[in-house]
Amino acid sequence: MSEKFGKIADGLLHGKIDEVAALTQELLDEGVDPDEVLQKGLFAGMDVVGKKFKNCEMFIPEVLRSAKAMHAAMDKLRPVLSEEGGSRAGTVVMATVQGDLHDIGKNLAGMMMEGAGFNIIDMGIDRKTEDIVDMVKEKKPQILGLSALLTTTMPKMGEVINALKEAGIRDQVKVIVGGAPVTDDFAREIGADAYAPNASIGTEKALELIKA
Amino acid sequence: MANDKTNCIVNRSPRFSFLSEDQKQTIFHGMLKVLQDTGANVHHEQARDIFKKHGCKVDGVRVYIPPNLVRQALQSVPLMTTIFDWEGNPRIYIEENRSYFGPGPTLVYFRDPWTLERRKCLRKDATTVARVCDALPNIGFVEGLVTISDVPRGTDDVFEFADMIQNTTTPIMAWSYHRGGARDLHRIGCIMAGGEEAFKKKPNYILYSEPISPLVSDFHAIDKLMYCAEHGIPQDYSPCAIGGGTVPATHAGQLVVALSESMVGVVLSQLINPGTCIILGGVQSILDMRRGIYSYGAPELNVLSGGLTEMARYCGLPMFGTAGCTDTKVMEIQSGIEATLQIHTSMLTGANFVHDCGYTESGKTGDIFQTVMDDEIISMARIIEEGIEVTEETLAVDVINSVGSGGHYLYEDHTMKWFRKHWRPTLMDRQSYEDWDKSGRKTMQDRIMEKTRDILENHEGPISRVPEEVKKDIQKVIDGAVERVEKEGL
Ligand code: B12
Repeated sequence: MSEKFGKIADGLLHGKIDEVAALTQELLDEGVDPDEVLQKGLFAGMDVVGKKFKNCEMFIPEVLRSAKAMHAAMDKLRPVLSEEGGSRAGTVVMATVQGDLHDIGKNLAGMMMEGAGFNIIDMGIDRKTEDIVDMVKEKKPQILGLSALLTTTMPKMGEVINALKEAGIRDQVKVIVGGAPVTDDFAREIGADAYAPNASIGTEKALELIKA
Repeated sequence: MANDKTNCIVNRSPRFSFLSEDQKQTIFHGMLKVLQDTGANVHHEQARDIFKKHGCKVDGVRVYIPPNLVRQALQSVPLMTTIFDWEGNPRIYIEENRSYFGPGPTLVYFRDPWTLERRKCLRKDATTVARVCDALPNIGFVEGLVTISDVPRGTDDVFEFADMIQNTTTPIMAWSYHRGGARDLHRIGCIMAGGEEAFKKKPNYILYSEPISPLVSDFHAIDKLMYCAEHGIPQDYSPCAIGGGTVPATHAGQLVVALSESMVGVVLSQLINPGTCIILGGVQSILDMRRGIYSYGAPELNVLSGGLTEMARYCGLPMFGTAGCTDTKVMEIQSGIEATLQIHTSMLTGANFVHDCGYTESGKTGDIFQTVMDDEIISMARIIEEGIEVTEETLAVDVINSVGSGGHYLYEDHTMKWFRKHWRPTLMDRQSYEDWDKSGRKTMQDRIMEKTRDILENHEGPISRVPEEVKKDIQKVIDGAVERVEKEGL
């Protein structure tokens, strides 16, 4: 059994999407506790991926493939996960705010979080404040990730946070912000819960937020 | 002496190329196939209607452009366009084999030239950039390096242009958020030229907009493009393509996509106003797959920019290239290395407008010291570009015979005349050790800062030549912009 956990972790590291999904299914079929598969197989593997990326031993496309493999395994696991186990695998709604068309950074941040087990709902670019609030109401994500690459669109992130307050749902979701002109100070100013200068720190912060 | 050479090839400057004729044709065909088979999204109904009217298949927002229409557009683009300063002197000839260098637009931060701190951009910084560039002989066009933060949000495009154009006669490559801003810029350009008719004869700025990779033209970018085409404003429609991110990781693939995106704008501009000036190109570099940044110092930027320059020329279009920029945080050794390679390659391949001199921190911080260093690098690269002149006189056989073996050339009239052609540094150090020691052991950085601050303190600039009436009219445009944005939002 532990051998299979090792194989899952290894498969993740090497971005073997089908193999990781199949191994996960096998373990489930064998009656292994899904939480255990998640912890000892998938998270163990993705932790290594995260560390390797941080140490510059892995490149973004490799990490994204690992993330994809993780996602494939999560598709199998999610329906049978306990609530507690699933909580590390919360849902994140991601959006680039209104007036802003930059998307590659947001996509990257989303894909990395996916690799850490989050379920990502990507709303795309140029999203109106109302639409974002509606999506939060509807999907009840644990985390809302906002991206803005322009100094002119940055204030929209504050607008979203205010709108969440007005809708009375601010305390139900953690807000994490990012993008080239965004800073820690700015995040604090608008009352965001976290700021991340890049995708891997974003993932770390997201994991912290969900633990808190 | 009469020149009696016949059937002889004379190199005016070194020739350098990445792509063979056949490779260029292959890439060109790749572009045609993409535009025909995949097309591009154009988020502008009126624009789509124009494409449709001219035989393009339109499906939702997707526009498919047939090869013939591309060919037709490439036949109507102008062979050359001249950009003037606002005093009416020709300054930029947009035509083959002429390169002009300048800064880039809209950075998030500016490095304060006095305190050296990286801070938000202020209105005064645009003036700083304009004045410094005005004094730099190798800077051929100006962009602002800043996104001004201390004016009403969404009007900074207008403030920036208004301030800059009065503080330099070097033509400006301008930008705006929307058509509204583009209209205000145009008003200012016309005021400075002395009226709309005068502007038509002597355009004094260019407007820069960007399609989005892969294969998207958003509403405002296309709307500005249409405005420029309608008013005969020279313009640039070029993407920031991110190799491995928004376009293929292979250089040829990136060239195909980047070319296709610009071509959407080229075709539309020519359908609206055949013969209107349009430039393609952009920032062509790669996503750093370790750090997740868009690299402004990668050697790939040189290959891609050079390759695209050759493709632009193949299409008969002017090229907007990139050089003089860096991934490091301030002007220093790394930025010198990166900028040198970029400027040299751009010069060799002959990009027409080469922007981003002064970009640091991968396109986040503007550093005017970098621009000042780039100015020196450009002048060195120009010397290399001048190559070797071979005439009877430069061959100097007479002088060689008369000096003979042994001796020296220091007394010769020939030397008196020709040594003046040698490049003379304004920043590079060639002092003796003793002189260098005595004059304070200054490094290149010290000298660059000194020169920049000296310009800021002492360079007059043209502002005193701007008539009071003109200043008032421009202020009215600024006031109008503030009102417009208050009313319509950004
Ligand atoms: C590529 C690019 C474009 C492309 C975008 C294509 C696309 N599909 O996204 C195009 C050409 C369309 C474009 C357009 C414009 N751009 Co632009 N663009 C860039 C550029 C060069 C790179 C951005 C990028 O993709 N970087 C790579 C990614 C991976 O990094 P990233 O986005 O920063 O994301 C990372 C982190 O920030 C973080 N992150 C980001 N979002 C989030 C969200 C969360 C939740 C988390 C946790 C983390 C996170 O994680 C990411 C991965 O590590 C930047 C320069 C720069 N240094 O940022 C300018 C830049 C952002 N653009 C700029 C400008 C001005 C514009 C335009 C206004 C230009 C114009 N005059 O038309 C338009 C605006 C269009 C619009 N309305 O949005 C300025 C902004 C200046 C300012 N003060 O606001 C910049 C800084 C460059 C410049 N100096 O001109 N641009």
